[in-house]
Amino acid sequence: MAGKSKLLKVVLLGDGGVGKSSLMNRFVSNKFDAQSFHTIGVEFLNKDVEVDSEAYTMQIWDTAGQERFKSLRTPFYRGADCCLLTYAVDDLQSFKNLAMWKKEFLFYADIQDGNSFPFVVLGNKIDVENRLVPEEEAKAWCAANGGSPYFETSAKDSTNVDRAFKSAVQRLRELEDRMDIKPAHGNTVDLQKKSKSNPGCCG
Amino acid sequence: MTAHTQIQYEKESVFIHINVSDAKDKDAHIPGRVFLMNKPEGVYLEWKAEEVISLDGAQSDQDWTMVRSVAYRNDRDSDAVSSMNAKMDSRRKYNISFDILDLKSFKRSAPNHGWAYIIFILKDGTTFPALHFHNGGSKALLKEFEKYVHIRRSPNDSRLFIVIEHDPEMLSKSFDELQLFSDSSGDLVSKFIKDPYTATMGGFSKVTNFLRNVLILEDNPTTRPQEEVADILQEDIPGMEISQQESGFEMITKTKLPPRPTVTRGDALLPGQWALHLDSEGKIKNKEDLLERIFRGGIEPSIRIEVWKYLLCYYTWDSNHKTRQEQRKRNVDDYFRMKLQWKTISAAQEKRFATLRERKGLIDKDVTRTDRTQKFYQGENNQNLLVLNDILMTYCMYNFDLGYVQGMSDLLSPVLVVMENEVDAFWCFAGLMERLCGNFEMDQNGMKVQLAQIHKLMLVYDPELCHYLESHDSGNFYFCFRWILIMFKREFHFHEIQRLWEVMWTDKPCKNFHLIISLAILDSEKSTLMENNFGFTEILKHINDISLSIPLEDTLKKAEGIFLQLKKYKKLPNDIKEILGLDVSPNNSSSSSAHPTPTGTPVNRENSPRLELPLHISNGMNNSGSGTAATTPDDSSIEILTDTVDSAINNYYH
Repeated sequence: MAGKSKLLKVVLLGDGGVGKSSLMNRFVSNKFDAQSFHTIGVEFLNKDVEVDSEAYTMQIWDTAGQERFKSLRTPFYRGADCCLLTYAVDDLQSFKNLAMWKKEFLFYADIQDGNSFPFVVLGNKIDVENRLVPEEEAKAWCAANGGSPYFETSAKDSTNVDRAFKSAVQRLRELEDRMDIKPAHGNTVDLQKKSKSNPGCCG
Repeated sequence: MTAHTQIQYEKESVFIHINVSDAKDKDAHIPGRVFLMNKPEGVYLEWKAEEVISLDGAQSDQDWTMVRSVAYRNDRDSDAVSSMNAKMDSRRKYNISFDILDLKSFKRSAPNHGWAYIIFILKDGTTFPALHFHNGGSKALLKEFEKYVHIRRSPNDSRLFIVIEHDPEMLSKSFDELQLFSDSSGDLVSKFIKDPYTATMGGFSKVTNFLRNVLILEDNPTTRPQEEVADILQEDIPGMEISQQESGFEMITKTKLPPRPTVTRGDALLPGQWALHLDSEGKIKNKEDLLERIFRGGIEPSIRIEVWKYLLCYYTWDSNHKTRQEQRKRNVDDYFRMKLQWKTISAAQEKRFATLRERKGLIDKDVTRTDRTQKFYQGENNQNLLVLNDILMTYCMYNFDLGYVQGMSDLLSPVLVVMENEVDAFWCFAGLMERLCGNFEMDQNGMKVQLAQIHKLMLVYDPELCHYLESHDSGNFYFCFRWILIMFKREFHFHEIQRLWEVMWTDKPCKNFHLIISLAILDSEKSTLMENNFGFTEILKHINDISLSIPLEDTLKKAEGIFLQLKKYKKLPNDIKEILGLDVSPNNSSSSSAHPTPTGTPVNRENSPRLELPLHISNGMNNSGSGTAATTPDDSSIEILTDTVDSAINNYYH
């Protein structure tokens, strides 16, 4: 947080129990708690990273996955700079639901062109024995979905967690270069509209 | 790492208390060391848990001693017993490390506290658990701090200290880089100074607060554009509006509530006293007396198993030994009938029953993530997890419309621990859900209504804090969501939640007392939120982080005091009375709409049409409003705050 760094809002999505909070905690504080609670409401953590010698603060938002809390979860999608779609390799349904999560995110984040938005897909829990989703299948899904980077992770033994989160920043830079838009908040029309509605003292 | 790290300060015997009121449990206080050190990347404050070394391998869980940790050496204890490692792992998760540049403020213990503790709060709202200096040393640490930062004591909370400036030379960072003053605040300040009416504004006490907030503004370079979040929440969550004025000015009314009375709490209801409340047939003699007692002091743990059954409508209050026996028998039969319903669903049936499959999956995932640090639910293949699972599945059958929603396992867990019986726990849980099922409705309307009610209450109780939250994108009180959904379950320690719940189940002293408890907690955090100038994300983070460090009895006392203040307040608006279940008497119709708006007062509420503001304007602006306070304590005065200073002044004086 200290010094000058770009703030990136990262949204972590996926079915309940795939390990969203555990991934976040592993990445941010390199801790894993097998006894942790399921998330209620919304939580976030900040993490300073350096990617291609540029400093970023990743603000990672972690929400409750159940359908019931959709109306309280989706407002937080807006303004996101990247999105991590997460499933567990031992949970077939959580993999099938990736498309649903992506759709929900694009709709509520109000993003027109899904293919130019930086999604990264995470297959978590590769430490478990009874794997149900083959790696090839997951890669095929990513290829069919804008070529999102794919990582097989384990929050428990920390496999690939760091790489996966940082790749989200790389993906963002990559797509920005390609689109030639300004970093972070490209949607200037939207921002103007917003600042008009709230001239607040801190503007 | 070692080569370039210089230790500026070091102190042993600094503890983190993870379970405040259970000091007998050795695990409740984790010993550790505090360091202040110069690293190549900056000055860091760190707290590290002491390494655990067993005196006797077999008894490692019971009997450990601490030795000096060697902080910058790789852990060589890899061959130590695995239970020890697990224990150490669970301790290390409390380790603290932060760049002193990120420090925003800290709270010290009250001077009369047995030993000193410090709570550190970072710019992004991160709030660490209190560090308890059992062998002193907190002052020396703060002295070291002063080399790097300038600290100011809060005028409103003597325990709160705000970092106003990080010393630029010491940290070899330029003033600009620290971004202590953002461009926008500079503009506002100069506007303020140029404004000829500034002096007049000084007459209103709140303006000083406003000025301070403007001056000590936005030193967090990572804050998101605040409008973004505000907009989002306002548009997308119907019924959760934020008061946002388009232009011109904002109004703050200062409610002059009667002074808060001192409230005392009592002792827990003891087994002997409980027995005296039953007549020869086993009927409760004086329900009201009993409830009053439970409200004031809770219930001694050993008789919760009986008394909770009344509070959770398992037994009726007019039942006796005989009827209760019959009731219990019916409950057993009913429970197993419903349990059989889902137990007998075949695999072929389940394949064609998506809803049930989905619920089964959710419950299965959540019971393994509920209170696993509690002894009752600890360990692999714990049978009690199975009982949790079965009760929740059976509840799906009992209330199929509602089904299973996340949060329910949190509510069931303490009930099962007390009942230690599947059937009894189920029916008590069902009774609890009768109170709380609104929180879990599909449209989440129950939640939205309660968050809006907290807003209404806050507007009357503390308009200043309310306005602060509104103007920092938090008027939706979204940060209270977890509190309300599961009745503070995650905010207090396990034994405390049992106490809090039994107190709330008495429905005393009023309806919706949990909302007043929310006010009480926020009241205690007011200075921290406002003087750190926290915005939406920081408020959310701070509120999430104070969980398990909220003092229960003090909060209950404060909440009851606040209730008594509101109750005594003669001009309490009708909508507030309705929330609290107070008599809405016709001759005291002080609903918000009934208040006249004095002419000449710049009331401009058109832009927040859905927010009902109880504007208590007694004598008007030009009258000696506050002067009458002594004779009519319920009177209110009104004060003006402006967002855009110029226009407000202009509106008012021209």
